[in-house]
Amino acid sequence: MRSRTAVFLNIAGSVIMSMTVNAWATADSPIETIRMTIQQARAVLEDPNYQGQDHKQQRLAKVKEIVLPQFDSQEVAKRTLSTHWNGLTDQQQQEFVQLFIALVKKTYSHNLDRYNNGVQFFFDHERIEDQFSEVDTRVLDPVQNRTFSIGYRLHNVNGKWLVYDVVIENVSMVQNYRNQFNRILTKSSYEELIKALQNKIHELDTASVSDSKG
Amino acid sequence: MTVRRLFVALISISFLSGIVSPGLADAQTPSTDEEASSRPKLGAEEPLAPPPPDPLEWFNQPVFEFNLKLDEYALRPIATGYDAVMPNAAQRGVQRFFKNLGVVERFANNLFQGKLPQAGKEVGRFVVNTTIGGVGFFDVADEWLGWKESSEDFGQTLAVYGVPSGPYLMLPFYGPSNIRDTVGFVADGAMNPMTYFLSTLQLIAVRGGTTMGSAINYRSLNLELFEDVNRYTVDLYGAVQDGYQQKREKQIAE
Repeated sequence: MRSRTAVFLNIAGSVIMSMTVNAWATADSPIETIRMTIQQARAVLEDPNYQGQDHKQQRLAKVKEIVLPQFDSQEVAKRTLSTHWNGLTDQQQQEFVQLFIALVKKTYSHNLDRYNNGVQFFFDHERIEDQFSEVDTRVLDPVQNRTFSIGYRLHNVNGKWLVYDVVIENVSMVQNYRNQFNRILTKSSYEELIKALQNKIHELDTASVSDSKG
Repeated sequence: MTVRRLFVALISISFLSGIVSPGLADAQTPSTDEEASSRPKLGAEEPLAPPPPDPLEWFNQPVFEFNLKLDEYALRPIATGYDAVMPNAAQRGVQRFFKNLGVVERFANNLFQGKLPQAGKEVGRFVVNTTIGGVGFFDVADEWLGWKESSEDFGQTLAVYGVPSGPYLMLPFYGPSNIRDTVGFVADGAMNPMTYFLSTLQLIAVRGGTTMGSAINYRSLNLELFEDVNRYTVDLYGAVQDGYQQKREKQIAE
């Protein structure tokens, strides 16, 4: 009986293990991760229940819920600070990540607000090198009859591909912020950078308030 | 019993390896794409690499402020008015018209860089677009024949021959550049066929006129884009500087 139980446990154990490993191993490829995220976000943006100015907040909240978990916020923020990151205390690092992500969320909300249902997405290509990958996509805006290239850079974190940079029309957003932040940090101080971020967030807040009033 | 246990153990191992390996292989197989070799290694954008220096900042910063004022008080109002009266399709047509005029520069620079098929295509494009394409308002060469424009300038040619970019340089009226691209810009200007027919003063007037026209048209097509850049950035000077450098690097690599 003892050995039968052992066999049973062994089988059960291997099944459970294979299930968990399975969930990890078949994690979506980078291009699938991006495709699924955009499809889900699109479904919300085009959902008749979420249309119009009245549902704006709901709609944006829902999209953020879908998109944000696909980003490695900490990594994005860290990369924008370049060599300055290591000189910060843990508390400063946390403060910076929080403010930076708040800023990014605000700028993207504005963009989402302009989304129109005719936009087409093309998922062209993925490139994987060890723990890093890049997904090339294009967005066709029918209003302007214009195509934009958007690349996503991802890295593998415990089997899940997370975005750490977005490259719009060949300009890496992380690198662009890095240049801006470096200028502020080398000329003045960390405190000034925090102030600049807070001011920008405040500026965007007041702009969006006047937008919704008008 | 031991055999059975061994059997179960073997099954579980093969099960595990069978499932694990496709995942691992997937993550480790390098891309077979031809481009991959020419593109920088992924993740090699060193997470903590410092940005490039800006030794001419003392000059660039005030010129940048000047350009912003110029945009605010002249270019943007004109472009906004122009945008309001011109249909989008017409604006695109005007942009193509101005681009068509740059054929000599593109032809010569493709030639200098040893890109013979592209140089030939540029001549073909000019002939087709100037005739059937209504003096360049329509890019029929691209739409019907698939002859894409290959935008090469003398700045890129210099880069191909190993001339370093030199420091970042903000030009009044023209915007961001660097020493190499400024030299290239002057050389491209000298290649313009109009230099043979016009006096220097006339040439400056005509070049200035076309540049203004093309600038207003370009600005009117990008009203939202400029606003967005302003919205997203914490330090506009730094954003424009880096944006220029990244775009240029990509153009040279292509």
